[in-house]
Amino acid sequence: MTISDETIMAYSDGELDGAEREAVERAIRENPELEKRLALHRALREQITLAYSAELSEPVPERLLAAARRAATSPPAGKVVNFDGAQAAKARRAARDDSRAANDESSYKPGWQSLGGIAAGILLGLGVGYGLWQQGAGPIATDASGALIATGRLRSALTAQLAADQAPTSSVHIGISFRDKTGGFCRSFALSGAAAPAGVACHHGAEWQIQSLMKGPSGENSGEYRTAGTGMPPLLLKSIEAEISGEPLDQAAEAVARRQGWQAPSQ
Amino acid sequence: MNTSETSQNFQEELVALLPRLRRFARNLTRNPHDADDMVQIAIERAITRADQRQPDARLDGWMFKIVRNAWIDEVRSRGRRDKIFAPEEAGEHIGSDVIEQEVTLMSVQAAMLGLPEEQRVAVSLVLIEGLPYKEAAGVLEVPIGTLTSRLARGRAALQVLLGGEGEVA
Repeated sequence: MTISDETIMAYSDGELDGAEREAVERAIRENPELEKRLALHRALREQITLAYSAELSEPVPERLLAAARRAATSPPAGKVVNFDGAQAAKARRAARDDSRAANDESSYKPGWQSLGGIAAGILLGLGVGYGLWQQGAGPIATDASGALIATGRLRSALTAQLAADQAPTSSVHIGISFRDKTGGFCRSFALSGAAAPAGVACHHGAEWQIQSLMKGPSGENSGEYRTAGTGMPPLLLKSIEAEISGEPLDQAAEAVARRQGWQAPSQ
Repeated sequence: MNTSETSQNFQEELVALLPRLRRFARNLTRNPHDADDMVQIAIERAITRADQRQPDARLDGWMFKIVRNAWIDEVRSRGRRDKIFAPEEAGEHIGSDVIEQEVTLMSVQAAMLGLPEEQRVAVSLVLIEGLPYKEAAGVLEVPIGTLTSRLARGRAALQVLLGGEGEVA
């Protein structure tokens, strides 16, 4: 049986079922070349998912939040049409056409590009309490064995917040969730505030252990970067790439993991 | 469920969807300003058309479709003018201060920007937004076979652009 690359692709995307799926699985077992093609599809998907996951942690501009909030007050049948926002958007575009280089407040700035001393900024594998917070009061503390664990709002967010449905104004942004090489669940996060640290926490026992932590945009630019500063630093993505096993969890898998208390399924 | 509860839920779902709407719109328009403008227009259209949504339709697919239609209208009304600007502004996505470690990740975005729109949008809906083929085909209003072939061509091009072993015979 000949298996087209489109079929392999559909299989890798979980689009086949029943007999078709079984036929592909059989063919893959018999043909290492197909297995290689499958691996290529999977690797590409993973690479793309990861490259675009940081965007989800960016704060949403107020004008879009305001537009969405009007959904609760507008009559569902839509007899009243509010064109103000659309008109304003149009006007803004017209203005931009006049001065394309203008740095207006809505311009998109990847906030982490200026990490202000990359090497100095990384606090990977930190063995002591992150100095920004008082022990016991902040989002990160050390446990009896000296491991860094999430507490307070960070702990609640890691346990309860789904990446897809977090309020953009929340002080903790969850980036992506994934399984690490031991099968345990890990999640990336970014905290708002002046230091805006970001990191990865993995669920062990009943706690979220901080696996890596890095500092946010440095002080001199904090005003400029505050609005866009909660995206994931590229170096954090690199550390996720090193830890991750398989693909990041999708929305549904994340919801299931949350329901099961982030316990790694037994082998 | 009464009307105000329905509206409340709709609002919450919409707010929760905003980061993904922006991401999809950026991949669609290749310009962050246009992307946010399209999201805003789409939200306003969605609010006035909430009653036209099928009860079992996924909100994400429905909203992606409205964003895409808003962009089609916009491009039509602008004519060709913006095609000249698009590649230049697309650079804003990438940022100027490229550090070595970013190169791999940046190149994914750069490679995406190089794809023809049909393929880029198919890849965006399925691989980035995670829609099933059927749902993505619905957003684009094309048969599922068309979606599949755009997706396959987009992926093959990305493999090549990203320096992977793209030459799958």
